[in-house]
Amino acid sequence: MALQESLRVSLTPPELELIACQQPIEIVPLISMERTAFISGAYGPLRPPHKATVPIWMALNLKSKKKCHIVAPEWLNVEFLQDRLGRETSQPGFSDLPFRFAEVSKVLLDVASDDLENPDKIRSLLKNLREARQAKCRDGLGTLDHSELSLPNLCSMEINEIRPFFVQSMHLLTQLQRQPPTAP
Amino acid sequence: MDWDEEYDLLAAGGGAAESSFIERVRNALPDDDDLPIPDAPRRPAPIPLAQPTEDETPLQQLIRHWINERNCPDILPAQEELLVTILDHIRRQSQTVQLLRDDASTSEDEHVRIMLAQTEMERVKFIVRSYIRTRQYKIDKYARFIRTDAEVQRRLTAGERDHASRYANILDRHLYKCVLQSLPPEQAHLDDSPGFVPSMITQPDKTRPVFVHALQDCPPIRLPDGTALEMQKGHISLVPYYVVEQLVARGEVELV
Repeated sequence: MALQESLRVSLTPPELELIACQQPIEIVPLISMERTAFISGAYGPLRPPHKATVPIWMALNLKSKKKCHIVAPEWLNVEFLQDRLGRETSQPGFSDLPFRFAEVSKVLLDVASDDLENPDKIRSLLKNLREARQAKCRDGLGTLDHSELSLPNLCSMEINEIRPFFVQSMHLLTQLQRQPPTAP
Repeated sequence: MDWDEEYDLLAAGGGAAESSFIERVRNALPDDDDLPIPDAPRRPAPIPLAQPTEDETPLQQLIRHWINERNCPDILPAQEELLVTILDHIRRQSQTVQLLRDDASTSEDEHVRIMLAQTEMERVKFIVRSYIRTRQYKIDKYARFIRTDAEVQRRLTAGERDHASRYANILDRHLYKCVLQSLPPEQAHLDDSPGFVPSMITQPDKTRPVFVHALQDCPPIRLPDGTALEMQKGHISLVPYYVVEQLVARGEVELV
């Protein structure tokens, strides 16, 4: 078939990672490069001591060849995540995080953990955040009905995670709802 | 070097292939030798088409359409022009890369650029392939429905329509030869729609819920339970697809 079985229900995490890596990020280059036209736009010029903005995939590529340092996004540090974790555990709603924070933080921790301050602490904070949010997702299933479910501040990886179950449940509720008018 | 030409092209207005002819004419600077035509009817400035995608690059558009297509139960309108733009760009980029690779005087710094350009081309090709395969999968699945429905045919490219009808015919012939020819004629139909069971022709199920993300403030939509929902920009919701079908078509929301 044209599309593998595993790809039919939803996007896969590596695909989400690919999409997230199109986002821009700041780097401190260690090599110089003229301004260059790429398919997604023109980037550069890279002049070593000055910061430049490039897509994440390019930053990761250069980083893995030791040709740049990555400047961590403003939300990827201990204070910010600590604050969000505090809100996450004290308030009922989902706290406000970048839509693709899970993908971006994963690739940055994998490739550029030496450019982050205290990566181990960040890792454990992200893990706690994930667990707190996951618990809320499961609670949210109780409020599911056949018509609509608002999920403010849910991020892309979480949506993908709950998709199969939530879609199936809501679909079933829709079918049950449709029965009464047709039955005598 | 071609790099610089490409860059000039991009700097000159988003690349020649990115805007349509009409757009380029509209954005053209007034020429010195263009005398104002006195009897031209005075009209207000052309109303820009409702394009929430204005500041999206072609690649960002393609990614949005790709994700929409993956998450949508129905077949969305084909994005032929956009694909042509992207494929042209890949072709130009690969020619440039080839030229530089063949050039022995290419410096070490150039190699980094080449490597990055090649990496990007592979990423874009992956997206293009996945987008086309997703459509292909749905077309195969609904081939027999597509043959009978003019509305969905309009959303396909000529090539896709052709494929759908050939695929449906081959499938019918196969089923007939294997099984149906040995059944009594009244049981040998492939398009019965008896009560209480689903029709034999598989149709896209528009009641399947989807996750939508509002790209802008949207006009109110009617939910299945009768209430109205007005989505603000950034709102994320799980709703049946048919509720947001129009919003997806207009590009006001994306599926996530």
